[in-house]
Amino acid sequence: MSWLDAGGSHAAAEAAEKGDDDGTVHGGPGGPGDGRRGQVKPPRVGTARSSGRSRTGGKYWTPRARREALVFLALALPNIVLIAFFTYRPLFANMYYSTLDWTLGAAQATAIGWGNYVEFFTSSDASTVLGITAVFTLATVGGAMLLGLLVGIALNAKVKGQGFARSAIFAPYVLSGVGVGLVWLFIFDPVYGVLSWILRGFGASSPQWINDPKLALLMVIIVYVWKNLGYCAVIYLAGLQSMPKDLMEAASLDGAGSFRRFISITLPLLSPTTFFILITSLLSSLQAFDIIRIMTRTGNGTNTLIFESYLQAFSTYNRAGYSAAISVVLFVLLLLLTGLQLRFVERKVHYA
Amino acid sequence: MSTATAQIIPPQRKRPLSWKNIGQTILGGYVPLVAATLVVLLPLAWMIISSLKAPGEIVTTELTILPQHPTMQNYVDAATSVPFARFFLNSVIVTSIASVIKCFLAIVTAYALVFVRFPFKRAIFLLILVALMVPPQVSVLPNYILIAGLGGLNTYWGIILPGLGTAFGTFLLRQHFMTLPVSILESAEIDGANHWRRLWQIVFPISVPTIATVALVTIVTEWNDYIWPLIVVDNPNMMTLPVGLTLLSNSDSGSQAWGILMAGAVIVIVPILIIFAALQRYIVAGLTQGSVTG
Amino acid sequence: MSAQFDRRRFMALSGLGLGATALAACSGPNTSGGSGAGSTAATDWSKVKPAAKISFMSSHPGTSQPIEQTLIDAFQSANPNIKVDLITGGSNYEEVAQKFQTAQAGNSVPDVVVASDVWWFRYTLSSTIVPVDDILKAVNDKTNDYNTTLYDDYKYNNSHWAVPYARSTPLFYYNKDHFKAAGVPDRAPKSWDEFAQWAPKIKAANAALPGYANVYQYPALAGYAGWTLQNVLWGYGGGWSKEWDITADSDATVKALQWVQDTIVKDGWAGVSSKDAVSDMTAGAVSSTVSSTGDLVGTIKAAKAKNMNIGVGFLPGGPVSASPVCPTGGAGLVIAKKTSPERQLAAAMFVSFMTNAANTAQFSAATGYMPVRTTADMSSVISKTPEIQVALDQLKVTKSQDYARVFLPGADQEMAKSAAKFMNEKADVKATMTALTATLEGIYNKDVKPKLKS
Repeated sequence: MSWLDAGGSHAAAEAAEKGDDDGTVHGGPGGPGDGRRGQVKPPRVGTARSSGRSRTGGKYWTPRARREALVFLALALPNIVLIAFFTYRPLFANMYYSTLDWTLGAAQATAIGWGNYVEFFTSSDASTVLGITAVFTLATVGGAMLLGLLVGIALNAKVKGQGFARSAIFAPYVLSGVGVGLVWLFIFDPVYGVLSWILRGFGASSPQWINDPKLALLMVIIVYVWKNLGYCAVIYLAGLQSMPKDLMEAASLDGAGSFRRFISITLPLLSPTTFFILITSLLSSLQAFDIIRIMTRTGNGTNTLIFESYLQAFSTYNRAGYSAAISVVLFVLLLLLTGLQLRFVERKVHYA
Repeated sequence: MSTATAQIIPPQRKRPLSWKNIGQTILGGYVPLVAATLVVLLPLAWMIISSLKAPGEIVTTELTILPQHPTMQNYVDAATSVPFARFFLNSVIVTSIASVIKCFLAIVTAYALVFVRFPFKRAIFLLILVALMVPPQVSVLPNYILIAGLGGLNTYWGIILPGLGTAFGTFLLRQHFMTLPVSILESAEIDGANHWRRLWQIVFPISVPTIATVALVTIVTEWNDYIWPLIVVDNPNMMTLPVGLTLLSNSDSGSQAWGILMAGAVIVIVPILIIFAALQRYIVAGLTQGSVTG
Repeated sequence: MSAQFDRRRFMALSGLGLGATALAACSGPNTSGGSGAGSTAATDWSKVKPAAKISFMSSHPGTSQPIEQTLIDAFQSANPNIKVDLITGGSNYEEVAQKFQTAQAGNSVPDVVVASDVWWFRYTLSSTIVPVDDILKAVNDKTNDYNTTLYDDYKYNNSHWAVPYARSTPLFYYNKDHFKAAGVPDRAPKSWDEFAQWAPKIKAANAALPGYANVYQYPALAGYAGWTLQNVLWGYGGGWSKEWDITADSDATVKALQWVQDTIVKDGWAGVSSKDAVSDMTAGAVSSTVSSTGDLVGTIKAAKAKNMNIGVGFLPGGPVSASPVCPTGGAGLVIAKKTSPERQLAAAMFVSFMTNAANTAQFSAATGYMPVRTTADMSSVISKTPEIQVALDQLKVTKSQDYARVFLPGADQEMAKSAAKFMNEKADVKATMTALTATLEGIYNKDVKPKLKS
């Protein structure tokens, strides 16, 4: 899941940066310090360039344009239909369900308009769930980014075993959330988990990781940071490696210490990378599910939006309509974030 | 890690030299690398070690790190209490079919979006963008109703079909295609090569690294997919590994389950780890491509 | 299948017709009240031929998958024309319920489903299962040798809606070695007061053991709190409810739960399991716990592997009532409604077979669950696992559960949440229970009361 989000929004960021898809190219060398932007981007292939014209006047299509359109449909339609059918149709169905008082399993439901939304936002659910979502999201994103930056810097050093370390640190990111969740649950168990055993060795007793809602949240945050740390580290590493060496050398000659160099040169230069990681991590954290589900089955202090939506429909309550309303809230939140990202990136590009 | 942070943050600018030293040791040395690698690997090592322990050694307060009597019994038990071989086969089948189709669809769609003339490309592009924002959770129930209606419960196509539309792969490849040098394609067009030939003879070969990234990401996603197969399958003979793994944790018999669960986790995690180890340089290179400019 | 009667009742309840869109049968719920399905008004079962294939959805309670498959194989050889698919709905009752409820949204539901004490009534209310009396009669099951207490747990509106299957009671499990070291009697305490006197001794004698945590471990709250706490509540003369009257904030109830909180917070000899209390016990971290009889066989096996001696006994009594203080529990088998008479008939044959005297004894032997027929011969089972005798004896002094837990949808989870507040987070008992009472009354008034009146 997280792969999908990460990749997608990464691509989205890039897409937005490149402007509209009719072939307008924000070409030319980028701002200073942007290694990749140094390459001049090639203009688009001829066919794409002329599509602006065909959009304005469909009836003036030449036979060749018609043939092109057919080719386009033949190539792209299957995918588009699949997305429409299995992503958009459910999305709208869900919006419809969110207006129903519907118990999962029942054949009938009552239309109640905005009732579910009103209930969500007026009950204590909203503050609890949104609060937990905020804490979980900020802590996982912040934690993974901070540690990822440190590890990325360490990886950037030319030392032996760097390649192995990079792969090892990245590895958790590709592992099954179910498997990882089970392993960590076993590690965290307050009675027979290895963590409690280690703590006993220091004379401490184990915290109630699962029973205490605050610690349960902390527990899933730790596991999630563990899983995503490598992703942040590797992207930061790429950012560091694309940094202009002459600038760093010049700063070094000026006598700037490595810490000052880091604060005043490296970090600012990394800000596009930071922004990219921030957005992709935010989106994937908001959709994090498997680990939370496996480690805290009934949601004890770990009811993020997506998990609460799941629990409402598929756990004890079977409130499919209410669940749908919560997931629509989540979707709107994700959409806002993406919109924000697009705006930010576009502006940044223009002012660069 | 956290100690490293604590040491960096307090500003003591008067002593740049000592800072330089500390900086070099902390940031440039082996310490953080080794620490990070251990933090990542130890839990996985614990999983493997635990999977080799006898029941009495696992659920106990008197832990010994290494199994006293290493045994494969947990793997045998996992395989006999649930059809694990079958789960594995199902996962392989589902992952390979879905990945091949998804990659193909991503390539042709991205090609069409970049190189073929069509009026509503911008709108289509935005729709695919938004599709990435739909949490998989949201589509579970409506898709279940549809797939169940079509008779797709407990079938491979029922597991595979709803996930086939690929917004992510399309995106990544589209972004890559837009960076390709136009001259090669123009000369091919002049030579009379049609789109199909241009795609497979020119664009495909020079895009192999990016396509490999898409392929790997797709394989990883499919292999680890949990919520949809969980909902759409209830026949153990059709379950994929992550779903089957949860079968092992029967709530009423927790006393014995952990060793078997760890064995199951090894079976789920290790194959993807091997694929990743073999091809990780593509996945990393592909993912980071473009991120520094984003 | 969906009876005209139900639909009219539903419409009356919910004031339908709010301009909702009617959807096709397989695309979600119907808001117009006109759902498509036949009628079961009175099926003449003698004219129905059993279907050739049915499915049985189970969570395999008590690691029962192998024995379930064995019994299915036996059924298939006894009825060569009926094939039974054993399908796994999840790893616990909640997950099976989730699967079954989700399946209602599609058009392929399992025929026979394991339904726990807190689920069968919801299925009854939502009309997703059929009463079993007539069908069982049609397959010549006289049902009069079912354990009356267990069978009548499923009675509502003069019909039975399930048959007892993996039925259990809680048992008191204790570590004989720990008790011996403390010099307390080698038996379960007769009352919680007695145990409170033992507890400091047990703690003192075993505290030096590596990783020793608690004298007594309350079972993990999710799925267990609502069930096992009834033991303490009843002992103090309290309860979650008296029939439909919610008594979760009565003085007796609050007093009982205050005692529970004190054992953890004030007296410090009890704790709450994170996942599985009997695992905590076989790990050696706790000296005693209360868990289902369904854990019996597995626990004894695990203990034997570690040379640990586990004893079992009746649940302790309280200051007001010494007996009966043990609730029944566990799961039954229900027959789904959204199928066909043919499949329902085959399902009835299967249900009857799975719970007949010989098979319930076999199932009991493999798991520790109660035999559900009075005619079951348990002698060989008991010779193999003598501890089952304790469970059987305790069955005679059980009490059916409080309505609030088993009949109110979602109540069990609310009880577990409240228990988590005052047991794990040290919240004020009275305030927590007042809030719970309001919640339970809300559920009753919204989801249950209207349907009862009809």
